[in-house]
Amino acid sequence: MAVLEENPLLEGLELARTPEPCALVIFGASGDLTRRKLFPAIYSLAHRQLLPPRFAVVGVARTEWSDDEFRDSMEEAVREFARDEFRQETWDSLAGGIRYVGTEFGSPEGADRLAACLTELDEERETRGNRVYYLAVPPAVFKPIVRQIGERRAAEGWTRLIVEKPFGHDLASARELNEGLHEHFAEEEIFRIDHYLGKETVQNVLALRFANGIFEPIWNRQFIDHVQITVGESLGIERRAAFYEQAGAIRDIFQNHLLQLLAVTAMEPPIDFTAESVRNEKVKVLKAMHTPGPKHMVRGQYGRGFVEGAEVPAYRDEEAVAADSMTETYVAAKLFVDNWRWADTPFYVRTGKRLPRRETTVAIQFQRAPHPPFAEIAGEGLRPNVLIVHIQPNEGVSLEIGAKVPGHGMQIRTVHMDFLYGGTFRTGLPEAYERLILDAMLGDATLFTRSDEIEEQWGLVDAIVAAWRRDRPVFPNYAAGAWGPKEADDLLARDGRAWRTH
Amino acid sequence: MAVAELERWEGADVRVGEIERRLADLRAAAAEGGLIRTSVLTHLAWVPPEWEEQALGTLAGMAERHPSRTIVLLPQPDADDDGIDATLTLRMFRLPEAPRSICTDVIELRLRGTLGAAPASIVAPLLIADLPVFLRWRGLPPFGQRPFEELVDLVDRVVLDSTEWPGLPAPYPQVAAVFHRAAVSDIAWARTSRWRRQLASLWPEIASVRKIRVTGTAAQAHLLAGWLRSRLDKPVGLEHEPSDRLIDVEIDGEAAPFPPGDPPQPSDVLSEELDRFTRDPVYEAAVRATV
Repeated sequence: MAVLEENPLLEGLELARTPEPCALVIFGASGDLTRRKLFPAIYSLAHRQLLPPRFAVVGVARTEWSDDEFRDSMEEAVREFARDEFRQETWDSLAGGIRYVGTEFGSPEGADRLAACLTELDEERETRGNRVYYLAVPPAVFKPIVRQIGERRAAEGWTRLIVEKPFGHDLASARELNEGLHEHFAEEEIFRIDHYLGKETVQNVLALRFANGIFEPIWNRQFIDHVQITVGESLGIERRAAFYEQAGAIRDIFQNHLLQLLAVTAMEPPIDFTAESVRNEKVKVLKAMHTPGPKHMVRGQYGRGFVEGAEVPAYRDEEAVAADSMTETYVAAKLFVDNWRWADTPFYVRTGKRLPRRETTVAIQFQRAPHPPFAEIAGEGLRPNVLIVHIQPNEGVSLEIGAKVPGHGMQIRTVHMDFLYGGTFRTGLPEAYERLILDAMLGDATLFTRSDEIEEQWGLVDAIVAAWRRDRPVFPNYAAGAWGPKEADDLLARDGRAWRTH
Repeated sequence: MAVAELERWEGADVRVGEIERRLADLRAAAAEGGLIRTSVLTHLAWVPPEWEEQALGTLAGMAERHPSRTIVLLPQPDADDDGIDATLTLRMFRLPEAPRSICTDVIELRLRGTLGAAPASIVAPLLIADLPVFLRWRGLPPFGQRPFEELVDLVDRVVLDSTEWPGLPAPYPQVAAVFHRAAVSDIAWARTSRWRRQLASLWPEIASVRKIRVTGTAAQAHLLAGWLRSRLDKPVGLEHEPSDRLIDVEIDGEAAPFPPGDPPQPSDVLSEELDRFTRDPVYEAAVRATV
């Protein structure tokens, strides 16, 4: 720490993770993500004084807006969606550095105007040529945007590029995207977002496993019977039909969030918490997964049904969805990680739309007690211990254990030991985007996906989808508001197991 | 965050052994609706009568941020007889987006007569096992006297506020004598952190400082001067302009730029101190260099 040696006054001062001065450029600034997530996150960072003192935001989109119109629209978004109270002085300090450039994406003339705006901000706000570009746009326009900004790099300062999902739609397109990005940016300058990794509770899986002595020794095939990962949504596809029809559940959730959750659950302990160490271990898990056979995969599509008391239409009746659509809104799989730790231990994963509730959990089911010496319950059998990591909602961890019911005899009941995040750490959990935007500004890529991870994920998805082409299931095969098709239950029933229905 | 007082029990002349049982009764009475009891620390507060009103207000806010067992000791040496009067309260916090609530307990003990003289034996049975114990001591501690010395040996961290002390900087060497027994936090020191960061940014010019003029509390002035002396390893003169807040620091006659952002709220400052578990060698050196 050369800086400490030079300046004795810095010792002991908690230097907040404040990034260097920079300009954040958001492509797709008039979109929903910017309104609902990005600007509220930027505001929350400003509210906590985590933004650099010299900071600017430039919105870029097709909408014809003036700087003031953009500012007004973002102020409204912050008032509506930010998790912190609106404070005028915080907003004013942020608003002073907000600009807008209206242009077609990839237009050289627009890119010139953006470059001129950034140069102006470098002078005005002293942002020193440091840039974070945020691509909140469809992948089709990644390439021209990347080329234009790559060709107009500032002479000084660093450049970082945040790329939103979907990152490609198969292995070939992901590789092409990676190659396109690598033409202008080094891998360490590229930050592919999977916002799940920005969630506190996903990071808590790592804390739970590697900061505690009691879990890791039993975190393996000898003690764990199986793992269940659920990413359930009660919502339908909202207004995303155009995207969803092409993507389906496997590309929307399975390829990224589900596989990332599986990777952090199954990975070996990294030697440290640097980006490369963590990502190396996650890639090893993805490489060790073999393609599930057709009998280990279940597809589903929801039909008409009831969710939270309201009748909802079938997927095929949703606006802009084909009447004979074969897009899956549900995927379940039995996956194996073929390594020393996990051989023969199934990872059952499922994700779906219009399930009974919104819920993301990782449930580790341990082997049952080998010989419970209690005659009364021998018939029913003791239920195994389950460690459940609740990613959302009700963030926390609970352990199911068997306990004696008070009274005569030896009746055992399963009870929950709960650790609820909101109950113990009584500060609001930061939104995933706050953490991720800040990390990108700081150049910390630990919670972002590396190119080889993306390619391994797509390799697996491609193999699954290729097998799907050979058969044509009868859709719809589950009612909205149910926990998926019967075949998904059969998938576990064949192994003598059942999905947790909570 | 909805906070509610859930159940309360008051008793005169209670025995310490009775307190846990009464708390268990309160929890049983309140157990509808999925209550979860959570604690991250035991928070002990020694509150002489003159600080009572102010202290109880702050402590009420603290429990919400750091779910803890709070034990408030209210010594009443002038009472006519000896005895312990207890007020036990279960406080409930509704969790956002969850159909559950958590509860924490507040144990208020009025130590009448001589019972305030040896508080450790009263407190020890009430500490939650394996969790850190923080002692918030309002006002100038009676260094060398039994209640303070006993409690220091019982806790992991002592949280003081030298702003509340008369006759500064004379008491600082006595604080230094506590350092090897428990980690010490000083709220006054925490309140200088923005300015320390700001002054550190004036390196290397600030290395040649000979004298500073501080407009703020006496505690802030002495601690800032002590900090510069100890960090730079040289004498630094101090001129103090009294003010209830730290609003200006001059380095050899030249005003340092005002630090950016808002000063932290009092509860934020205390809250941050409760997140620290280790000794702070920079603070300790600054305290030693105040005189």
